[in-house]
Amino acid sequence: MKKHSVLLKEELCEGCTNCVKNCPTKAIRVHNGKATIRDELCIDCAECIRICAYHAKHSLTASLDDVSGYKYPFALIPPSFYGQFRGVNPRRVRNALYALGFKEVFDVSLAAEALSRKTGEFLAANQGIYISSSCPVVVRLVKIMYPELTEYLLPLKAPTDAMAEKARKEAVARGIELEEVGTFLITPCPGKNTTTFDPLGIESSPIDKTLDVGQVYQAVRSVLAAEQKDLQEQNSPVPYLGLGWGQSGGEVKLLGEKLQSRSLSVSGIHRVKSLLDELSRDNIRGVRYLELSACEYGCVGGIFNVVNPFQARYDLRRLRAQGVEPIKQDYDSYNFALPAGFEPLQLGQLDSDLEKAMEKLGQLEREIAVLPGLDCAACGAPDCRTLAEDIVTGAASRSDCVFLLRKQMGELTERLSALFQELPPVMKKREKGL
Amino acid sequence: MREQVLLQSKIAQGDFSRGGETSSNLKEALRKLGIKLTISRRVTIVTYEMEMNIIIHSLGGQITVYISSEQIRVVAEDLGPGIADVERALQPGYSTADDYVRALGFGAGMGLNNIKHYSDHFTIETEEGKGTTFTAIINF
Repeated sequence: MKKHSVLLKEELCEGCTNCVKNCPTKAIRVHNGKATIRDELCIDCAECIRICAYHAKHSLTASLDDVSGYKYPFALIPPSFYGQFRGVNPRRVRNALYALGFKEVFDVSLAAEALSRKTGEFLAANQGIYISSSCPVVVRLVKIMYPELTEYLLPLKAPTDAMAEKARKEAVARGIELEEVGTFLITPCPGKNTTTFDPLGIESSPIDKTLDVGQVYQAVRSVLAAEQKDLQEQNSPVPYLGLGWGQSGGEVKLLGEKLQSRSLSVSGIHRVKSLLDELSRDNIRGVRYLELSACEYGCVGGIFNVVNPFQARYDLRRLRAQGVEPIKQDYDSYNFALPAGFEPLQLGQLDSDLEKAMEKLGQLEREIAVLPGLDCAACGAPDCRTLAEDIVTGAASRSDCVFLLRKQMGELTERLSALFQELPPVMKKREKGL
Repeated sequence: MREQVLLQSKIAQGDFSRGGETSSNLKEALRKLGIKLTISRRVTIVTYEMEMNIIIHSLGGQITVYISSEQIRVVAEDLGPGIADVERALQPGYSTADDYVRALGFGAGMGLNNIKHYSDHFTIETEEGKGTTFTAIINF
């Protein structure tokens, strides 16, 4: 089964360990000169794609050619997408997507506006602190590295899923067969692609395929360049306020003044981790809502985007400023309830027996004491502590450490030299003669 | 399994830069032992409050965490100055922390209450001028 969207092109990997050191879940090791990603720890955050100087990490989404494979292909536009088209009216971007063969085009921002309202209601009815569950990478990070915080995840569907579900449902209500509908989410990140085959909180994903922003951007640009004046104008209103969701802070802004003042927006996976560390020791007080995005600046910082995140953020902010109030729509037409909920994952147990696990923990501490503590990553693990873990679990050996290897060679050389002096009596005599 | 030491860590007075280190290491160790999440979370919070207590209020001390098949026991011992009025120290909102500490976001007077809240058994032994020992037990 397909598990991840972040993949490795082995022939390009130089074995440099940049990705190993930058991986927030320590999921990568270099062995035999090539990086390997541990499936169970990868959260598809794409930090390795971002940092790889050799472009050995990549991600595959569907192709625009797949659109013709459906009788009713639907496009789902994420809020951040319009930030890629500076000075272009969002309606023209939508029109271009129709020109590319989509039968219907949906703004995820509409669902985002509805979800903001729902979130406000939920927070009013429930005590305590909640984490936005809209960024799939954050949800996976919590499940894997902060499983004790899973109950803090807002138990509501992400706007992308809610929008896709609504689009499907309404098509079926119009008499269209579900098999003829293809829901295509334009995605700024591999993380959203992963949710199509490994959904979060729901049994199966209502999104059939994703298309990376990069390829859709190129296609839309060509349509715009060749645009005919009489291109049919698509008049449904633009959910300008919902577009704010495309950058960090935009979600909280829609919660209303009172909740906004009791919320925090944090973006960038390493900063998100620091915050979750504090939350896990109960050191975040008074806050009601945490809007967390794995990419810096939120979805405009997704790796599939073409425009740099600073410009995209600025342009998206200008678009949002055109909004006065949320679009009037039937909020009950969305189903934000999460049937499956978010399951915590408990990984990294050394042994199922507590006593044996304690022994291994002791062994681990001894290994850590032996290693040099330089965290150089030349062994292929991100730091000495992780190498020690790999040694204890049998995934690595002490000689993987270049410093220990050097030391062992030094000791061996000394022993060899000592042995060399220990000549048999017969040879001693002969040596004298020489 | 008989009780054994899981972790021991010295903590210096006023060392805010290392605040949270002991509880983070402990959380990691509990994960490796496969301790239930609800338990591990309570132990982590209790230990964090204790290490911050040593940093803020004491002249330095140490935390020792013991584990057996039945329970986890967190013991925080410090070198003084001791608590003058234990009952008052346990009152929610009461704190002797100075403005500097409060400016850092600590000293809200909820620490001891939090420890009490998250542990199954909590004792304080203190002698003015000598030091204080906090013991918190969390049962499996």
